[in-house]
Amino acid sequence: MKKIVALMKKDIKLLFRDKMAVFFTFVFPLIFAFIFGSIFSGDSGGSKALKVAVVDLDQTEQSQQFVKSIEDADEFTVTLATEEKAKDLVRRGKRVAYFILPKGFGEDYKGIFTGSPPEVLVGIDPSRTAEAGYLEGSLMKLGTDRFEQAFSNPAAMTERLDASIAQIEESDDIPAEWKSLLGDYLPKMKELTQQEMGGDEDFSFGADGEANPMIPLKVTKQEEVVQRSGPKNAFSITIPQGVIWAIMGCVIGFAISLVQEKTLGTMNRLIVAPISRTQIVAGKALGCFMAQIAVVTLLFLVAYFILGVRFNLPKLVLAAVASGVCFVGLMMLFASLAKTERSVAGITNAFLLMMGMVGGAMIPLFIMPGWMQAISNFSPVKWAIVAFEGAIWRNFSYTEMMTPVLILLAIGVVAFILGTRMVKLEEA
Amino acid sequence: MIQVESLNKRFGNIHAVRDVSLEIHPGQIFGLLGPNGAGKSTSISMMTGLIDADSGSVSLSGLNPQSKEARYKIGLIPQSIALYEELTATDNLSFFASLYDIPKNQLESRMEWALDFVGLKDRAGDRVSGFSGGMKRRLNLAASLLHDPDYIFMDEPTAGVDPQSRNKLFDNVLELKELGKTIIYTTHYMEEAQKLCDQVGIIDHGQLLALGTVGELLNQHGGETQISISSDQGVKEFKSNDVSNDLIQALQASDKVFDISVNRPDLEAVFLNLTGRQLRD
Repeated sequence: MKKIVALMKKDIKLLFRDKMAVFFTFVFPLIFAFIFGSIFSGDSGGSKALKVAVVDLDQTEQSQQFVKSIEDADEFTVTLATEEKAKDLVRRGKRVAYFILPKGFGEDYKGIFTGSPPEVLVGIDPSRTAEAGYLEGSLMKLGTDRFEQAFSNPAAMTERLDASIAQIEESDDIPAEWKSLLGDYLPKMKELTQQEMGGDEDFSFGADGEANPMIPLKVTKQEEVVQRSGPKNAFSITIPQGVIWAIMGCVIGFAISLVQEKTLGTMNRLIVAPISRTQIVAGKALGCFMAQIAVVTLLFLVAYFILGVRFNLPKLVLAAVASGVCFVGLMMLFASLAKTERSVAGITNAFLLMMGMVGGAMIPLFIMPGWMQAISNFSPVKWAIVAFEGAIWRNFSYTEMMTPVLILLAIGVVAFILGTRMVKLEEA
Repeated sequence: MIQVESLNKRFGNIHAVRDVSLEIHPGQIFGLLGPNGAGKSTSISMMTGLIDADSGSVSLSGLNPQSKEARYKIGLIPQSIALYEELTATDNLSFFASLYDIPKNQLESRMEWALDFVGLKDRAGDRVSGFSGGMKRRLNLAASLLHDPDYIFMDEPTAGVDPQSRNKLFDNVLELKELGKTIIYTTHYMEEAQKLCDQVGIIDHGQLLALGTVGELLNQHGGETQISISSDQGVKEFKSNDVSNDLIQALQASDKVFDISVNRPDLEAVFLNLTGRQLRD
């Protein structure tokens, strides 16, 4: 073990002697996390593939029609769910937001000229604050669509006018002057609409993008519900991404250093020394692992004390260890595939950048097309991010943590076994 | 004693080492002389257990060179500068020493001895990247001596070295011999082999062509000595197998001698006679 530790210490020392390696391993990920965290803290654009969960508590014809309009909208991929399930899906990051159509939605929906606008409760994943505005806008658009549809359909219009007249008559809240005014106006409006029913098919009111004085929907955000289990700020999202960059930096550095040992000839010294092949490989692996743990520790210390990110420490350790094992295995595999520093750098960079892109280290998964999100399941980067997020803001239970952790460990072990079998320590 | 029997190694279609057998006695400096690509490094790699032989065997004091026990007896100075350039000389030595279980209380003194031995004591704390080629070569040697090995394998240790460092390395080799070490020294410089080695093996295309002391090789394969005498009777050039007798006779035949030139054969001539080409071709 002393010899393995000596190998590891030597590699860590070498890493810290290389200023560029230190920059890309320790500083760059922090810059990345800080810049992107700042960007995502503000407003930004939306997505055309927002996965939402929809809960229809009203179960009226109107609420069902509205749910259908959400389903038909290009912006959303809808999962119908119970309230509990919908909240759980958002909490676990499976869906960006949930929409709840509460009881009375259909009633309010019918009352165009009276009562309250129909309310939609929106529970948004706070990590997707950039999409909050976009979601609200999209919902309003759907509300407006329905509004315009009502005004362009004389039969529906007549029906809603009847409902409004009845509501006004029954209502005690409306002042007498208003009651009188609306009591005169709405029956005349109904008469006019019925006259139009016979002739003009293109009858419309407030259509064609004209300004409409009436509110199509009342969107009530329920962020506080989710925030209890969500990230406190956008850095909770970008720190795991930064960690992934740091880990990838370690992998590239150590894969190159393993090949470099061969090209420099230092590997020959190691092989001739009274140290086994297993110890040589273990020393290199331990060096890579410890460098990853060091960088994860540094980033999370900065995240905690400077950026205000909070996390569950045991789960964070679990995520860090699983990611460490995974990426050590990958490092060994890459090192086994190449004979020169240049080729190992090329292979490792290409693979990790690809996995990073697909896995959400660069672009958040939610703005990727569906097929790419499916592909992301094959990226270890995705599972590492999920594991870290599970420890930070997703509030994963230990059982939930097991999915990313076991996947990472499996990838790491398989890659390590393949790598150590394929790697040729001695020069040809 | 190092015993090598019928060693063979192929890399694809290239037969790098063909049926090499030799014995190296303790305390000897054994030179393996041959041009680049002759099979010197491959032979050393098999003798140190770095790579497996296709066939044949090597034993170091009766031990398989790949055994743990044998590894404590081997000191390898690779052809390349096998050091970590970003670490200091001390860091490098400390790391390599840690692989050999050198007791802590001896570590400092061993490192100090090694640095002093190669003349780098005053550069102990400097990074290797700032060293000259010759200094790196010397540190390369020091890194292999920390565990006090019995067998020291030096693979072209003077490649790219300035004359000053080369002379220092020659002195080191001779000092190591005085310390009782067995040294296996590969080179393509016949002057080095001739100057340092007790026994020389000439290798080409993976085959050991000749083996013996320098004198034996010169006598067997060097050819005749070329003598040239310029006297009042003109210039006389002739080849001789018995230089002293032939020279005396030639001098007696002349009244006035202006110049005498005696060109003894060297290992270059031995190689030429054995292979039909120059050592540096």
